[in-house]
Amino acid sequence: MKTAMFELKAALCAVFAGLLAVGSTLGAAMLISQSVLQTRSATKANADPVVQPALVTAGARLFALNCSHCHADDATGDEGPDLHGLTKSDARIKAIITNGVKGEMPSFKKKLGDADQAALIGFLRSLR
Amino acid sequence: MLSLGFSTVCQAFIIRDFAPGLRLAGFAEMTPLLAANVWEIMHGGSTHLPIALMLVSAVSDGLGYIVRTDRLRERFHIAGFIMLIAGTLGVLPAVLSGLVLARWEIGGSGALFWHHIFVWPTFGLLVGLSVWRIIVRGRRSRPGLFIYLVFAFLAAVLVSAAGFWGGEILLGSS
Repeated sequence: MKTAMFELKAALCAVFAGLLAVGSTLGAAMLISQSVLQTRSATKANADPVVQPALVTAGARLFALNCSHCHADDATGDEGPDLHGLTKSDARIKAIITNGVKGEMPSFKKKLGDADQAALIGFLRSLR
Repeated sequence: MLSLGFSTVCQAFIIRDFAPGLRLAGFAEMTPLLAANVWEIMHGGSTHLPIALMLVSAVSDGLGYIVRTDRLRERFHIAGFIMLIAGTLGVLPAVLSGLVLARWEIGGSGALFWHHIFVWPTFGLLVGLSVWRIIVRGRRSRPGLFIYLVFAFLAAVLVSAAGFWGGEILLGSS
């Protein structure tokens, strides 16, 4: 009887610990998720410039010539990743276009100048 | 912890060499663009060991319950206890890396939803079972141990189901 009571008390502690572990993990995850979402939407709102249609048209042409081979004609990804809804900054995208990604993507430093890259980024920003 | 690290590194290279279609990069090729892969590798590497430990822990305690020799019984229970604690400790990096990988999504949809449906009860159950074993240690009764075994095997089933749906996320056809 004494052992059974002791085991029961231990079981109550175990249930409490299990619920606490799951509850605190889920709570922390929800809080972080909320804060990440807020940061993302704030960043997007600040960084979302009005993309000029001419820039998008020029960027689309450059995309078809240089990028669609790997990222698909509609930029949904093929050999390369899907480029819709990019969350990276313009500077980061520019760095990737300029330097490429080792073993994954070639550098377009010599092929695309600053204006071309700006147009390309404008086109990528227009993808939703 | 060492074996967890070793398992992570091994799996990273196995995935890189044998399943390049998964688009995972080796450590040397990692760039900020592929940063998500670090978590994929960590999650893949840190989940399998706790799953295995949980399953073998339940089997070991089950054997301890049915064998008649006192010495052998105690050894099975000690092995089961150590594997349970190691498995529960191993679950922590697995859950953390999984959450980062899922962008802190605790529910999700499709295979991710089913993965989470099994993951959260398993996590709670593992912590609960470990706490119970730590508190009770050798002062357990046979009926108490039987109830423990029911929950241990339930945890083994749940962790296997969570693993199955985790595999579906990565390799499933849908």
